[in-house]
Amino acid sequence: MNPLLACFVPESRDLLQAAAASLLRLEKDSHDEALINEVFRAVHTIKGSSGLFDAAPLTRLVHGAEDLLGEVRAKRLTLSSDMVDRLLDALDQVSTWVDALEQRECLPADAAAAAQEKLTALRAMMPAAGESAVVVPGRAGETHADWLSLLDEAEHRAVSQRLAGGEPVVAIRYTPDEGCFYRGEDPLHLLRQLPDLLALRIAPRTAWPDIAELDPYRCNLIFHAVAVMAHDAAAHLFRYVAEQAEIVQLSPSALPAADPAEDSPAALLCGLLAEQRRILALPAQDADEMRRRIAAVAGALANLSQSPALPLRQGDVDAAVSAALDSGRPQALLALLDRLEQCLTSPRAEPATRPAARVLKVDQERVDRLMNLIGELVVSKNALPFLARRAEEVHGSREMSREIKEQYAVIDRLAQEMQGAIMQVRMIPVSEVFERFPRLVRDLARQLDKRIELVITGEDTAADKTMIEALGDPLLHIVRNAIDHGVEPAAQREAAGKPDCATLRLSACQEGDQVVIEVADDGRGMDPARLRHLAVEKGLFDDAQAGRLSDQEAVNLIFRAGFSTAATVSDLSGRGVGMDVVRTTVDRLGGAVTVTSEVGRGTRVRLSLPLSMAIMRVMMVEAGGSLLGIPMDLIAETVRLDPRRVRTIKQAETFVLHDEVVPLRRLADLLGLPLPPADPDVHHAVLVARVGNAPVGLVVDRFREGMDVILKPLDGVLAGLRGYTGTALLGDGSVLLVLDLKELL
Amino acid sequence: MPLRLAGEALHLEAECGVEEALALLEHLAAPQPPAIDLRTCTHLHTALVQVLAACRPRAVTLPDDVFLARWLMPLLDPSTP
Repeated sequence: MNPLLACFVPESRDLLQAAAASLLRLEKDSHDEALINEVFRAVHTIKGSSGLFDAAPLTRLVHGAEDLLGEVRAKRLTLSSDMVDRLLDALDQVSTWVDALEQRECLPADAAAAAQEKLTALRAMMPAAGESAVVVPGRAGETHADWLSLLDEAEHRAVSQRLAGGEPVVAIRYTPDEGCFYRGEDPLHLLRQLPDLLALRIAPRTAWPDIAELDPYRCNLIFHAVAVMAHDAAAHLFRYVAEQAEIVQLSPSALPAADPAEDSPAALLCGLLAEQRRILALPAQDADEMRRRIAAVAGALANLSQSPALPLRQGDVDAAVSAALDSGRPQALLALLDRLEQCLTSPRAEPATRPAARVLKVDQERVDRLMNLIGELVVSKNALPFLARRAEEVHGSREMSREIKEQYAVIDRLAQEMQGAIMQVRMIPVSEVFERFPRLVRDLARQLDKRIELVITGEDTAADKTMIEALGDPLLHIVRNAIDHGVEPAAQREAAGKPDCATLRLSACQEGDQVVIEVADDGRGMDPARLRHLAVEKGLFDDAQAGRLSDQEAVNLIFRAGFSTAATVSDLSGRGVGMDVVRTTVDRLGGAVTVTSEVGRGTRVRLSLPLSMAIMRVMMVEAGGSLLGIPMDLIAETVRLDPRRVRTIKQAETFVLHDEVVPLRRLADLLGLPLPPADPDVHHAVLVARVGNAPVGLVVDRFREGMDVILKPLDGVLAGLRGYTGTALLGDGSVLLVLDLKELL
Repeated sequence: MPLRLAGEALHLEAECGVEEALALLEHLAAPQPPAIDLRTCTHLHTALVQVLAACRPRAVTLPDDVFLARWLMPLLDPSTP
């Protein structure tokens, strides 16, 4: 693919996503200017970069959206839900086209027509030309002494004259963002376009670093300009960088006869400090004279330390003075003066500049490769203890063995840190999946004519990328179910005495090494009686059996395949696929899903998943002469069992553990491996695992140690092999097969 | 080529774009940085302005361009502290 296009595709996806999210938030609070700016900028950026490709309809459509947003931003239009609908629609279209560009590097043939249709929809929202728009007055009449104090006398006079002549004068403070050069912006060029410039001050925002450390592509300048033009015209000129430019209309009253800055306490203090500096800089005849001057300055500073406007403490002064007296040179005092002057002159209302995000976008494959390499390192490091043992046993060198073990400890620590670090790289916040829900909930709610407020919490909770990505579909099912079946129509809610706007909570948090995601609605809840009735109807149980189900068991019925509770199959959910799919997916990820429901109060679905599934703790066992791994989280305990305690019920062997009958299976048998000869005097090694909440005993030949392994799934020809989760490489180079007990039993 | 080294002076000529920033920085970071001649410069990209402001070249020849001469020079004038 064209490298520019390869850049454009992911970038515009991010921007589209950001724009859609901001639009949804704007719908709730249409006055948030930062949000409007964000949407506007996103759309504008897409428009700009799309021009590089053969995608004219896309550019036209985005342009249309930008125009509409521009009207909103200029406050000539208020954002309505209808408008949001159409804008989202347009963004969706763009998103489809971006996909098309990625696959075929050109837009579909019908793109022009589609763009026209969407554009007409967008234009319909625009105020007709000539329709008088409400003009929001600029913030006229504000006094901006800090601007004017930058002007010299001649400029000051010029500004006064133009203002007195009734001409509009604006003051502009333009703080380009650090990364602006990368977006092709040239602030100075923009300022050149100011028609009647009365003053322009260019200054560094922070002191320049050493030449060697200077990053020429990071903008560190701030511009102050005064120009004769209307506020609107200036705002138009700066429309693409609106949030970086502060534009103020000056009024004659803002210009007092005397320069107000002269009298401000800050200016006075500045003057005093400059005076001290001058005293110190005067050439001194001898050391005594310098000492006298230092003393004089010390006195003045001591007085200044009383002023609340200066961040100066007596202690600072004393320290600097004694340092200066000791060395006979005023350097320490000068440094103190520098610091104070900086405090005074740094603009107070400097807009918080966003720190440029230093983010590296890396192909996931590369991270995975790194992860695999680290995995191999972890594994090969495990070979060192073997080597240490060999050094001692075979070569008889105890010292060598100890040294190898010491080295092993170092490498082990490093490997673990690397593992942790690479895990961090793979961790992404759940907001990645949560992001799509505001849109989904809004659309579904409008479609079903329900009022739903979505509350998202804990979106910063992070988990492994694979987990987060696998979560998308299950969550989608759950949220759809909640909206479709859980939440009642407004009328029903009111009759039940509930607020007509339902609340859907989506929350995430970390509990130990699990990430827990909950979807809770305050809808009608599930009725166990109805679920029992349905179970009988579907022939899953007879009446008596259904009657014996506890309420919770009845609720859990929804996880059965083919058990759809919706009375009518709707467009959204209730096609019998749903909760059972959710459970299968979550099971496969090594997690658990639970549902609790209260009639009339709502339903709560809770998913808990491991934070990361790349590293697995397994217990190694021997069975039928093979070494096998069993995931540690399934193992409840290990026991030695006297063969005489085994009871056979019909064909099945069982034994009693903690007053409970536990089925007993022979692992070698399950895997079709040769059984060792039965010896009634040797106790069985039994591993008790919990599979699907019920204990089961597995007879193995021997227990071995537990260990952390990097699990590699079976793929290729082996992918269909049942009973195994994957393989792992051991320190001595042999391959460990890790069992999937749920499938095996 | 907007950057042209002639004798001891580096001439910045016509429209100087952002792509010259690194080259300019290299010139000015050299052990014997050249003087800067802006006489025929019609526009300096902001990134270049930054480089000049940060490196404080020892001498700058005034540009003919009025905008640059008036508003940019105070920032670059080596005599200001």
